[in-house]
Amino acid sequence: MPKDSESKRSAHPQGAGSIPGVVAKPDLKDPHVVLSLLEADQVVAAKQNTRFGPRKLSVGVRVLLWGLRIYVLAMLVLVVVSAIRAIHSAH
Amino acid sequence: MSSSKKDSEASPFGSAHPTTEIAAASPAARDLIGLLTHEDLDRARDRWRVTRARWKGRGAKRFGGLRVLWLLVGPGVLVFLGENDAPSMLSYSATGARFGIGFFIPFVVFTFLMGLVVQEMTVRLGAVTHRGHAELIFDRFGRFWGFFSMGDLVLGNFLTLITEFIGIRAGLGFFGIRPAVAVGVGLMVVVAAMTTGRYWTWERITLGLAIFNGLFVPAAILAHPDWHAVGHAMLTWTPLPNGRGSEILLLILADIGATVTPWMIFFQQSAVVDKGMQPRDIKAGRFDTLLGALLASVFGVAAIVATVPLFHHGIDASQFAGAQFAEALIPWIGHVGAALFALGIFEAGIVAAIAISTSSAYAFGEVLQTGHSLNRPMREAWPFYSTLLGSACAAAGLVLIPHAPLEFVVLTVNVIAVLAMPPALAFLILLVNDRDVMGEHVNGFWANAAGIAVTVLLVCVGIGFGLATVFPNLLGG
Repeated sequence: MPKDSESKRSAHPQGAGSIPGVVAKPDLKDPHVVLSLLEADQVVAAKQNTRFGPRKLSVGVRVLLWGLRIYVLAMLVLVVVSAIRAIHSAH
Repeated sequence: MSSSKKDSEASPFGSAHPTTEIAAASPAARDLIGLLTHEDLDRARDRWRVTRARWKGRGAKRFGGLRVLWLLVGPGVLVFLGENDAPSMLSYSATGARFGIGFFIPFVVFTFLMGLVVQEMTVRLGAVTHRGHAELIFDRFGRFWGFFSMGDLVLGNFLTLITEFIGIRAGLGFFGIRPAVAVGVGLMVVVAAMTTGRYWTWERITLGLAIFNGLFVPAAILAHPDWHAVGHAMLTWTPLPNGRGSEILLLILADIGATVTPWMIFFQQSAVVDKGMQPRDIKAGRFDTLLGALLASVFGVAAIVATVPLFHHGIDASQFAGAQFAEALIPWIGHVGAALFALGIFEAGIVAAIAISTSSAYAFGEVLQTGHSLNRPMREAWPFYSTLLGSACAAAGLVLIPHAPLEFVVLTVNVIAVLAMPPALAFLILLVNDRDVMGEHVNGFWANAAGIAVTVLLVCVGIGFGLATVFPNLLGG
């Protein structure tokens, strides 16, 4: 387990300051090395335990989403009608 | 690791927020050390290669730039060449055979510009949030809207997947291969790609297959097109298509549906996340998407040009499938050209089958909160791999059922894709304008203007289709 100072040193491998660590093949068995290569919210465990949480939907957004939903449902019916017509006329 | 509610409530991590903080420097680093997964290790390995390429390229910027691009290119090229799938290439072929060189050539290029506008947003969303599209919709809009969105995706993906196996069957059918064998070959390729256990390997194998979408280019050259007419059409959008309004509108819809579809949004965002891209990679991600759009538009136009001889000789191609196009082209582009065309249809089906089944699996994994990465071993993410394999097997099986309503599926798949796109775009635009999610990477004015313009155009085309269906004589029958 590296000490805090070591952890800080390996924490920014993407910067120009940590050149030797970047060139040498990393030891991915060392979790500190893995964490130094990933962003905080890129680690699976961190993602699984955090959520952006629901946003408040304004009236305008609700109207937009419902309008588009009704549009899709209505159009799907028309697609089925159109396809059945096309198949009938082909036969 | 558990994603149970209890764990979530007891989480030492706060609510998610956009950050570029390195994990080792975050307050949660100590807690994360014991929770690292195989997926994290593989992703860290990929990140190290990108970091090393960036550092090595500091002195010789151009070379370093190319190496970085080589490492980061993938999701964008795959999504566009994946969308140049069997029904799309058949749609382009039908367009060339019906209308020849003219309006539809620049129109197809224009649809790829629309696709570029949409897909660029998914790159930013994935690179900044490190979360897939389905996950973000469920997080921000709740389960109600999330399930609606998933419904559109599942329906569209499954129907499209069926048409990919129809394409695979038709493409190999040209060479006398029996349908069951052709579909079996297609399924085996999908399985082989998914068993790599590594996103990077999966991506490179699929990219290697996808580049064969270019087979339509030599097929087009063998058709000896009038390049002057192609150039003229590109510049003037003429001659305009001459025919029944409803038929033209249907081809316009099919050609848009061949380029802009919901699965592309879900797939590219999830692939960007699985690849481990970060905000600093957004420029490379844009290049990747532009390259994909460019290649796909060239190959799409090539499919149109390859079938133009059918237009000049008055061949009715309205009922043609893949193999029939290739067979009908033999007198004009020869056996070699026709074989290239048939192989192109086969390839288009294979690559899209891989990409679309993966897109469904990513979305299911995100919604079910189970492992959803190609970097995960099968034992850790069996629901993810089961969805991938299950959807491919179901579509392949359906294609082999005698008298299955496949004609219905082929007729409707691209149209459904266009009609389902506006809600998907609305969620996308709302998410990329959400500062709580995107931070400084929210959409600018022009990105919003372009995104809204694409949405409005798709709605208008859809309404046109609706009117033409309800009033068949409105556009000249």
